[in-house]
Amino acid sequence: MNLSKSILYTVLSVSILTVPVVSGCSNKAASSGEQKKETSSKDNELKSQVKEMEASLENLQNSLQDKNESKVKEYGKRLNKQWLTYENNIREKYPLLYTDTEKYLLPLYAEVTKDKLNSSKVQQLSVDLSRSFKNLRNAKESTQKTNKVLDSAVKKYQKYVNEQTGELVKSTKSFTDAVRANNTPKAKEAYAEARVYYERIEPIAESFGDLDPKIDARENDVDGEWTGFHRIEKALWKDGSLKGMTRYANQLDQDVAELQEKIEKVKLNPTQIVAGSMELLNEAAISKVTGEEERYSHIDLVDLNSNVEGSQAVYHAVLPVLNEKNKDLAQDLDTEFNKITVLLNEHKNSGAYLNYEKLKKSQVRELSQQLNTLSESMAQTAEIFQ
Amino acid sequence: MKEQEDQTVDEQKEPNQYSRREMLKMSLLTGAGVAISMSGIGALTSMTNVFGETVKKSGSSSEKDIISFYGKHQAGIVTPQQTYTYLAAFDFTTSSKGDVIRLLKQWTLLAESMSQGKADHKYSNDWLPPKDTGEALDLPPSRLTLTFGFGPSFFSKKGIDRFGVKRKSPKHLKDIPLMPRDNLQEPFIGGDFCVQACAEDQQVAFHAIRNFIKSAVGKAEVRWMQSGFISAKHGKTPRNLFGFKDGTANADPKDSKAHEQIIWAGDEEPAWMNGGSYMAFRKIKMFLEVWDRSSLKDQEDTFGRKKESGAPYGKINEHDKVNPIQMPPDSHTAIAKRTGQQIYRRAYSYTDGVDPKTGYVDAGLLFISYQKNPAEQFIPMLKKMSKADKLNEYTQHIGSAMFAMPRGIKKGEYIGQPLFDSF
Repeated sequence: MNLSKSILYTVLSVSILTVPVVSGCSNKAASSGEQKKETSSKDNELKSQVKEMEASLENLQNSLQDKNESKVKEYGKRLNKQWLTYENNIREKYPLLYTDTEKYLLPLYAEVTKDKLNSSKVQQLSVDLSRSFKNLRNAKESTQKTNKVLDSAVKKYQKYVNEQTGELVKSTKSFTDAVRANNTPKAKEAYAEARVYYERIEPIAESFGDLDPKIDARENDVDGEWTGFHRIEKALWKDGSLKGMTRYANQLDQDVAELQEKIEKVKLNPTQIVAGSMELLNEAAISKVTGEEERYSHIDLVDLNSNVEGSQAVYHAVLPVLNEKNKDLAQDLDTEFNKITVLLNEHKNSGAYLNYEKLKKSQVRELSQQLNTLSESMAQTAEIFQ
Repeated sequence: MKEQEDQTVDEQKEPNQYSRREMLKMSLLTGAGVAISMSGIGALTSMTNVFGETVKKSGSSSEKDIISFYGKHQAGIVTPQQTYTYLAAFDFTTSSKGDVIRLLKQWTLLAESMSQGKADHKYSNDWLPPKDTGEALDLPPSRLTLTFGFGPSFFSKKGIDRFGVKRKSPKHLKDIPLMPRDNLQEPFIGGDFCVQACAEDQQVAFHAIRNFIKSAVGKAEVRWMQSGFISAKHGKTPRNLFGFKDGTANADPKDSKAHEQIIWAGDEEPAWMNGGSYMAFRKIKMFLEVWDRSSLKDQEDTFGRKKESGAPYGKINEHDKVNPIQMPPDSHTAIAKRTGQQIYRRAYSYTDGVDPKTGYVDAGLLFISYQKNPAEQFIPMLKKMSKADKLNEYTQHIGSAMFAMPRGIKKGEYIGQPLFDSF
């Protein structure tokens, strides 16, 4: 956890923080199967429907500017009526965009039916909504098959995340046990193992507000008390004493358990997953390849590799859709993941990654450039949402 | 002394041409610049007809001007010098000729649209990163030029003909040999490929280089990049960071006959270089603090010219005929003059913050010159200057590269295409 993380966080347009609402929709979408007829005329129909809604939205925005509350309400209601008329058509063809639109339209409708409307809220929702409309207007039809495949991609990835979280809880326990037993060599070993599972699912963990800082903050990252992995890392590698660490070990167990509880309940959607895979690679590029994350233990390569593995899990999950949409990209990603794995393997000594400080500048640069190449391709994965 | 005599004889042969020749023979640090002094608005308009490359769009702001990307020669060489540059060298990381061609095609499209101030905004979906980075969106074309060249390592690296083009190697493309006082520092040495982006707006120039770097990911990586600037009041020769006029000696931008003699390679070269040129690059660190505490006399003795007027020793005006006998024999101008060679300069100044070792300002000159035969025109001149130039007390060469700049690009072609065509 560091400052750049929080920046990244806000920058990514589809942050993992957004309330997950999608997964229900693709089920609905999977129901009808014989939609091949008159695609182009249907597309035109959809376009004109979206245009009608865009016109209503524009009127709403203008009324908002004129502070004409009754007009805002009128257009808001009209918009909802239009949406109800057209939504079936849209849901079938563009399930992702459908939920993306509902996400903003439903609260907007709720707002305009209140006695006193919150105009700044309506303003924000209308901006988001116009963006969704624009996406809809430019959408290309995704096939029924794609929806099913995307749905199973989500399930597959969700399973991966649950497995990793389970391992995180276990390996954290081995680590904290060693800390409580004041066994420094064992604690050092267990530390590196536990980090693997956290770094693979980091973006998901980050989506639960204060849990990530509690578990993964580095010194000076937090205003309050500094807890978590890196607190104990410092005791192990810098202070050379585990005195007083039992408290942090207990807290860490508790926080990780809470994380698992939350992750089991979370519903992910495809855009979040893909955005998360980019967050992982960005993390690796900003704080791991620079040796900033593990400033005492210098096991940054362990983290870097785990970030890459976490991202690769997303790649594997969406591969069937990617194969359908852009085979070349799937092939490129395969090559790039292989290349970075091979490169990382070169920095191992009897099975363990080298201390970051042992790397030459040129080796760091090589890793950074390969990561850059991989990330550039990974960023194109969002093509599956077209 | 012998050189000096030769020079005098030589000059007497062609009394009528002396002013042009005088200007052309000037060299390295005092070289370039007539071109720049002409880049004012009035001059631009008058040049339009001669080159057919400057297209006035609207208004009188030179920022709105578009320099055509296509032509017999590449833009950005005899194009009147823009205020800002970003110069970058790339190394290809791919070993596939197909990848190289794909990238060159992509760069060609980018260069063509960016030089017209356009960007790729084709909409796909919101979850994808935008194609163009966007910082030049509301900015005019700003006379952006993009100029390309291939380094020696592109044709042969460690004896390997990497992309099957060795047989089409240009005649004179070699790394500049190490010079006596060189203190070359990685990464500013060589490179497989170079891009010179010049514009009247620094942000426009940077945007161009940035998008080149971005689109190269996975195929090529940027080896070094350097920004530069140069500025002068309309009609004046610009000054380098030592405060001396830096220019005066270039061929007139309109003098296409001189360009043929000095800049453009001819049919002695493989077809792709016929109409091309060689770019010599030197990054020259200038010790500003040391210079600034030298007496005016020392400074003028170093250049062999008056600081304020730019006049050579013994003369009154900047463009008066240079006579080496009238200046200290180790002065920059005297040495340059005696080499009897002509190059075409397009240098920029640079600043890189503070040198952490010394606390001095880290600054200097991005020496860029174009010539048709560097082995004859440039290398011997550099050798002489590296040995004897009084200016060496205040400068140090820290970067070096040579690139073969292909002929101009025709519509529908991609950069360097005839190099890859199989005949």
